[in-house]
Amino acid sequence: MKLKKGGERVLGKAQKRRYDLPLNKGSGTGFLVILIALMTFLGMLALASSFALSAMTARWSSGLENRLTIEIPTRQVDGSLLDKKGVFTLTRDIANGLHGIPGITNIHVLSEEEIGKLVEPWLGKDLLQGDFPIPGIIAVETSDMESRTLQNIHGKIKTVAPHARMDTHEEWLNDLLRFTGALNLAAIILALVIGVTMVTAVGGAVRSRLAIHRAEVELLHLMGASDRYITRQFQRHSLILALRGGFIGAVFGALFLVLIGWVAGQMGVAILPDFRLDPVQMMLLAMIPLVAGLIATVTARWTVTRVLTTFP
Amino acid sequence: MIRYDHVGLRYGIGPEVLSDVTFALEPGSFHFLTGPSGAGKTSLMSLLYLGRRPTRGIITMFGQAIGSMSREQLVPIRQRIGVVFQDFRLLNHLSAFDNVALPLRISGRPEKEIRNNVEELMHWVGLGDHMNALPNTMSGGQQQRIAIARAVITRPRLLLADEPTGNLDDEIGFRLMHLFEQLNRMGTTILIATHNQVMMDSFNHTRLILDKGHLRVEQPETPVALRDKIIGGAP
Ligand SMILES: Nc1ncnc2c1ncn2[C@@H]1O[C@H](COP(=O)(O)OP(=O)(O)O)[C@@H](O)[C@H]1O
Ligand SMILES: [Mg+2]
Repeated sequence: MKLKKGGERVLGKAQKRRYDLPLNKGSGTGFLVILIALMTFLGMLALASSFALSAMTARWSSGLENRLTIEIPTRQVDGSLLDKKGVFTLTRDIANGLHGIPGITNIHVLSEEEIGKLVEPWLGKDLLQGDFPIPGIIAVETSDMESRTLQNIHGKIKTVAPHARMDTHEEWLNDLLRFTGALNLAAIILALVIGVTMVTAVGGAVRSRLAIHRAEVELLHLMGASDRYITRQFQRHSLILALRGGFIGAVFGALFLVLIGWVAGQMGVAILPDFRLDPVQMMLLAMIPLVAGLIATVTARWTVTRVLTTFP
Repeated sequence: MIRYDHVGLRYGIGPEVLSDVTFALEPGSFHFLTGPSGAGKTSLMSLLYLGRRPTRGIITMFGQAIGSMSREQLVPIRQRIGVVFQDFRLLNHLSAFDNVALPLRISGRPEKEIRNNVEELMHWVGLGDHMNALPNTMSGGQQQRIAIARAVITRPRLLLADEPTGNLDDEIGFRLMHLFEQLNRMGTTILIATHNQVMMDSFNHTRLILDKGHLRVEQPETPVALRDKIIGGAP
């Protein structure tokens, strides 16, 4: 009696459990599975990008707080160029002058080699050869970024070398945070859209199932089935469909993420060198299908309960 | 056990299909509900199995006034009522066994108890060899026996049957009536809607007669009066 066992084939245990309502028969469930698979896929991408984004933000902004850089350009205020020695002297004088200022915890004058390494990607190796003067750079660490400290530093710089610049990275950091904040907001909105889409789709599917099987549902109701009893059947049906779709979506999502990582590695995209999802993030990604299942279950329950209240 | 007090029912804004219906069913009683087609028998049945609520009047079932009860509170009341619908309303995707087992599953009985009870009852109604068959592969008479078995499997305190002999030949109809009598002797209160005069005359029970939505009660005739009527009615 194959026909009798209308159980689901996905969950081993559910196989023995028959439905009172023929929910697992008939068409229309494939659509929902595919939709949930797609939503899970999108959800995984959104979450993974969000993780990558925060890693990026953390990396770029880490070490920028309580740090500032002083640059001593070769071109002076009057337009004349300093030679190597001039730059060196000014840089040393400023560094010495900073020593007495309270709030400064570390002063490091970058050597020519260090500066060379910094500019090498843009200007090439040749720069350091010969007499060509390069700007001086002092990296300063402070205990705070209060304006009094900054003003003291600024004042000291100006008295020694009026054309020297102080960069607190603040502007750049703020731009970066604004940018990643906007991207994160986009990810949140995407997640919301995905959630609303799923609720709408599952709700619609459940409603149409209810309409199709209204006579059967009414019969169960008249036999004394509680709302919970009837709701459970729809919940279980929706949960199984959502888990099936979620699983498919998660598999494709994972494959896609691995593929992206591989392609990025091949192309040498170095925005996020050696970015890896940590175990917690992987767990969160793996939980998306479960969240899909939860959304489907709750939506089914809510939808059926609402319809059932119209029954006597 | 069941008491109706000036109960009225209308569908939407239509006229009242039941007006001032007043009667009582004592525990263990057996009643016929009769009247011409369109008189409101099915409508009254649907009130009795709590398929709808009346538009006016007071209904008391098993000692509780229905009107003030919430949907949730009606659940255990419905579980005490067995219904044989005119069109059976079997679930065609479930086996005969599962159809009969349904009310027990709804009330959450253990599967082992369900198996024993259902198998016993199905043998009793002569369907012991058809437990795994699907209803739509079975004859009308067999389907009806499934419907009846399903209605009585929980030993309901009230059994309602809407024209159960309607589309059956007389012999099966009478066998069915004997089955209901047997259940009645075991304590179930029974109300059968029918307009089969022969049937009502053969089984002498109190009649609730509906006519254009109004109900009157007619006590069973004495055997002598009945005989006179039958003889007198013949040419
Ligand atoms: N669901 C319904 N909606 C509107 N009118 C109905 C409905 N069911 C029955 N009626 C009307 O109520 C009256 C009684 O019908 P019914 O209870 O089926 O009588 P019976 O079962 O005695 O033939 C009829 O006039 C019928 O048209
Ligand atoms: Mg009728």
